[in-house]
Amino acid sequence: MRKEGRNILFIFIGVALCAFVIGFGIWNKPHSDVKDADAVETNAISLYNSFTSDSAKAKSVFLDKIIKVSGVVEKVLVNQQQQQIILLKTSVSGASVNCTMEQNRNKIKQGDKVVLKGICSGYINGDTEMGIPGDVFLIRCYPSI
Amino acid sequence: MKRVVITLLVIIFCCSYCNSYSQLYFTKNGRISFFSKTSLEDISASNNQVLSVINMQTGAIQFSLLNNAFYFPKAKMQDDFNDNYIESNKYPKSTFTGTITDIGTINLNNDGNYQVHINGDLTIHGITKNITAPGTINIKSGNISAAASFKVLLTDYNIKVPTIVTNKIAKEIEVTVSCNYEKK
Repeated sequence: MRKEGRNILFIFIGVALCAFVIGFGIWNKPHSDVKDADAVETNAISLYNSFTSDSAKAKSVFLDKIIKVSGVVEKVLVNQQQQQIILLKTSVSGASVNCTMEQNRNKIKQGDKVVLKGICSGYINGDTEMGIPGDVFLIRCYPSI
Repeated sequence: MKRVVITLLVIIFCCSYCNSYSQLYFTKNGRISFFSKTSLEDISASNNQVLSVINMQTGAIQFSLLNNAFYFPKAKMQDDFNDNYIESNKYPKSTFTGTITDIGTINLNNDGNYQVHINGDLTIHGITKNITAPGTINIKSGNISAAASFKVLLTDYNIKVPTIVTNKIAKEIEVTVSCNYEKK
């Protein structure tokens, strides 16, 4: 009887320990590995056009997905967190594919042809009345080799 | 005579239109972050892809961001935020449209920090509420930056917290806004 009680206690402790380890693992799971993940390939002009012409379709293909986008650098900026922002040219003046880099790459400059990999967070429409077009945004970007 | 008056009116209209446009400032990489202290774990996240436009003549100000662009230190927190709390698929954007009520106190030619008040409609999770918050506009050599901080009550925006953690998650979160603008 005593041995049986001890076995139940061990099973209980074992289950609790497993639950804790699984829970801890889920709670501390790392962010997705953008750098080495497979990606949907496109270029900046068609990515931008797909969001402005058929938003629903663009969302189903690109939203929250890791994408590899090629394009020409329009401008290189730095945000308040000192992260590099690379704006890729689109067919609309003043509109870009707006890429926030995970690691700064000082070599990238205006006019360069680049291929960047990042997570597509979507499109924010600007203010057309005020002549400010929207951008398509990518976060956690890396240069693709 | 009639032609002269019409020409003058057109010139005046064009000048005021151009002047209004010349007072436009915008950013597409502003920052909005939030923080909530809880007994379980502090929750913080930031979004560095905020689109904001200010008209320094009228005081009109707007912000727009994609909810799924908030970055959390923990991936699980980010997943829970997008899937269970803010429901990013259903409500992809959060916006604010309002006015700097004391825009008249700001002199673009005079560098310094100007304490202002911002009033307008904040839309989160598909619900719009009118809010007023204090803010600071900084003018430095013609460059403009803005900062503001305010609290958001989760229940005001119908953001439901699972019952199991209700008592462990703060009912209001502190939102901080910080944008550096460029001239249109």
